Amino acid sequence: MQLIFSLLQQMSVFMVVAYLFTKSPAFRPLTGESIRRRQKLILYFVFSGFSIMGTYFGLPISDAIANTRAIGAVLAGLIGGPGLGLAVGFTAGLHRYFLGGFTAFSCGVSTTAEGLVGGLFHLYLMRQNGVRDVFNPRIALVATLLAESLQMLIILTLAKPYHDALELVEVIAAPMILANSIGAALFISIMRDQKRMVDKVGAIFSAKALKVAEKTLGIFSRGFNAETAAELVRIIHAETGVGAVSITDREKVLAFSGIGADHHSGKPLLSNYATQAIQQRKVFYADGVHEPFECPHSANCPLGSALVVPLMVDKDVLGTIILFEPKTKLFLRNNRSLGEGLASLLSVQLLRSRYEDQKSLLTKSELKLVQAQVNPHFLFNTLNTVISIIEQDALRAKDLLFHLSNFFRKNLKRSNDLSTLEEEMDHVNSYLTIERARFEDRLVVDIDIDPDLFGTQLPTFTLQPIIENAIKHGIANIFGTGVIKVLARRAGASIHIDIEDNAGSYCQKIEHGGLGMNLVDKRIKNLYGEQFGIAVNCQPDIQTQIRITIPAGAAS
Amino acid sequence: MIRALIIDDEPNARRELEKLLVKTGQFELIGECGNAVEGVKMINRQRPEVIFLDIQMPVIGGFEMLSMIDRDIMPHVVFVTAYDEFAVRAFEEKTLDYLLKPVRLERLEKTVEKLHEHLRTHIVPDYETEPLTRIPCIKGGNIKLIAPEAVEYAYTDQSGVHLMVGGELFNTDLTLKALEERTELLRCHRQCLVNIRQVDQIIPRDSACADIKTSSGQIIPVSRRYLKNLKKMVGI
Repeated sequence: MQLIFSLLQQMSVFMVVAYLFTKSPAFRPLTGESIRRRQKLILYFVFSGFSIMGTYFGLPISDAIANTRAIGAVLAGLIGGPGLGLAVGFTAGLHRYFLGGFTAFSCGVSTTAEGLVGGLFHLYLMRQNGVRDVFNPRIALVATLLAESLQMLIILTLAKPYHDALELVEVIAAPMILANSIGAALFISIMRDQKRMVDKVGAIFSAKALKVAEKTLGIFSRGFNAETAAELVRIIHAETGVGAVSITDREKVLAFSGIGADHHSGKPLLSNYATQAIQQRKVFYADGVHEPFECPHSANCPLGSALVVPLMVDKDVLGTIILFEPKTKLFLRNNRSLGEGLASLLSVQLLRSRYEDQKSLLTKSELKLVQAQVNPHFLFNTLNTVISIIEQDALRAKDLLFHLSNFFRKNLKRSNDLSTLEEEMDHVNSYLTIERARFEDRLVVDIDIDPDLFGTQLPTFTLQPIIENAIKHGIANIFGTGVIKVLARRAGASIHIDIEDNAGSYCQKIEHGGLGMNLVDKRIKNLYGEQFGIAVNCQPDIQTQIRITIPAGAAS
Repeated sequence: MIRALIIDDEPNARRELEKLLVKTGQFELIGECGNAVEGVKMINRQRPEVIFLDIQMPVIGGFEMLSMIDRDIMPHVVFVTAYDEFAVRAFEEKTLDYLLKPVRLERLEKTVEKLHEHLRTHIVPDYETEPLTRIPCIKGGNIKLIAPEAVEYAYTDQSGVHLMVGGELFNTDLTLKALEERTELLRCHRQCLVNIRQVDQIIPRDSACADIKTSSGQIIPVSRRYLKNLKKMVGI
C-alpha cells in the first residue's frame, strides 16, 4: 500500500514536469497534425528523458526498482509511432540495464517492448480514426496497462532466479501497473488540454484574419491612395486589436490608426525598417525585446515594437503595411503571421486593381480605334452620292449631309457613356438613310422597335458596328436585294435586339466576330453580367441574325 | 464617239458618271451595269471600247471581273473607285487610268485624252489577270459560283455557253474562249472544252476524229485539230 502512495507521489512530480513540458517550445511540434523528422528527434530526447527520470524517481525494492519508466516509452510510441517508441524504450531500457540488479536485463527488454506496445497502438489508431485519438487518456491508460502487464511477464520469464522474480512481481505488479497507467492517462490529458488551447487560439486568429480579409476586400481595387489606406488601417486596427496600424507608400505615411496617431499621420518615412522593407522587398520585424522599435518622429512615442511588410504588385513595392505594439505589450507571434498574411492579401487586391485599370484602358483605346475606323469607302461614296443628286434634288442632298454630320458626331461621342436605345437608333438611322441613298432599291431596311423600349440604356456605340457589319456582309455578298431587319422587343426579364440580314454569308467568320463586335459583347458583359451580350445565329446563304440581349431593368 | 460601258453597284454613282461622260461629248454610252455578272454579259454582247469599272462590287469585284473576259474582246479599262487607290496604282501600268470618286470633269477629260491616244495608236488592252477561281453561272434565275475544277466539260450552242457540273447543266455568260484562256479546261472541239481530269476514255473514230467518254459516262466530240494535243495532255 505504501508502495502505491510513493509511486503516486513520484507520479505527481512527473505531472508537474509534464505540465511544464506542455508549456515549453518542445511541445510545439505536437500541436500540428503531423510530426516531421526533426520534431521526432526532439520528441525522442524529451520522452527518453521522461523515461530515464522515471527510473531515477523509482524506489529500490529488493535489488530491483519500482518505477514509472513505462510512461515515457509507451507515450512516445503512442504519439510518435513504433519507431519512436522502440527508440525511447531501448534508450531507457539500456540505461536501466546499466544500473544493474537481478532484473536489469529483463527490465531493459521490457521497456523496449513497452515502447513497441505504444507504437502498435499508434498504428492501430491511425488506421482507425487518425491522429485525434492518439491524445485520448483512456487509450493511454489501456496501452500502459497492457504494456506494464507485459513487463511483469517478461520479468517473470527472463529474471533469474525465478522465485526472487515472482516475489518481486507479487509486490510491485499492482502498484506499478496502476501508477503507470494513471500517470500516462493524466499526462496525455494534460497534453490534450494544452493542444486544444493552442488549436482554439489558432482558430480565433484564423477567424480574425478571415474577418479582416472580408471587410477589406475590394477597398484597394478603388486605388492605392490616402483615402483607401485610411479605411483599411481603421478596419485592421479595430479587428486585430494591435496597438497601431499604418499604411505607407514609398515616401510617406498614407494613413495611421491607433496609439501614436498624433505624431505619425502624414509624416515622411524615416524609420530604417520601412525604407529597408521597401528597398529590399523584405519583411522587417523589431520585436521590442532584442530589437526595439525606435520612433523617428518623437522620443516619447509609446510604440515599442513593429512589423513592417512590403506591399508588392508584380515586382514593384508600392508601399508598406506596419503593425505596432506599445512598449507595454508584447508583439504576439500570431499577429506577426496575421500581418504578413494581410500584406499578401492586400498585394493581391492591388494587383487586381491594376489589372482592371489596364483592362478598361485597353477596352477604351480599342473602342476609340474602332470608332476612328470610319470606312473611307463609306465616306467617299456618300459624298459621291450627294454630288450625284444635288442638282436634281437639292433638298434630299441637304438631308443626306445632315445625316452624315449626325453620323460623324455620334461616332465621336465618348465611348464610356451609356445611351438610350432611341439615341442609338438615331445614330443607326442616319447611317441607314445614307446607305439607302447609296444602294437605293438594292437595300431594304425594316425597323420594328417596341416604342416602350426607347428608354432602354445600353453602351453607346452598340448597334452601329453590328448594323454596319450586316450591311457589309449582307449587301456585299449577294447580287439581289439586301434586306436588313432591326427588331427590338421584351422577352421576359430581358430585352432582345435582333439585327438580321438575308445574306447568311461568311458564317464562320462572323461567328468569331470582328474586333468591333467582340468589343460590343465585352462591354455589355462588363456592364450587365455574363448572361447578357451578343449571340450569332447564321444559316449559310439564308440569314445571319445577331441578337443583343440586355436586362429589361436597364430602362431609364 | 467612244463606245463606253459603266459598271458600278451604286445607282447614283452610275448616274453621276453618266452625266460626266455626256458632258465630255466624247462617249456613246451603250449601257450601265450594277454588278460584274451583268458587266461580263454586256461586254460580250456589246463589245464596248472602254469600261468604267468600280472595284468594290457585290460578290465579284472589278479585278476578278476582268479575268472573266476573253482577250479578243477586252476593252480599255478605267477603274473608278472611292478609295482603293493603292490597289489600282499597282494595276496602273497595265490599265488605262483610274478615277477617284467623286470625279471632277477636268480629271475625266485627261482620261479621255489618254483614251484617244490609246485608240489612235491601236494599243490593244492586255491585262494580266489572276486565273479564274469561280465561274458565275445562272440556274433558275439565281447566280451560282462554280469552281473550274468541278466542271466536267463546257460547250456552246445557239443558246449560249453551258457547263456540265456533276450531272447538272448550267448556263454562263462567259465565253468559251475566256474559259479556255483563264481555266485549265482544254479545247477538244470548236464548240467544246473538257476537264482533262474527268476524261475517262478516248474512243477513236473514223477520219482521225474521236469521242471522249467522261467520268460520268457522257460522250463529247474531239475534232481532228485538237486530238493530237489532247492525246499529249492525257499522256498517250
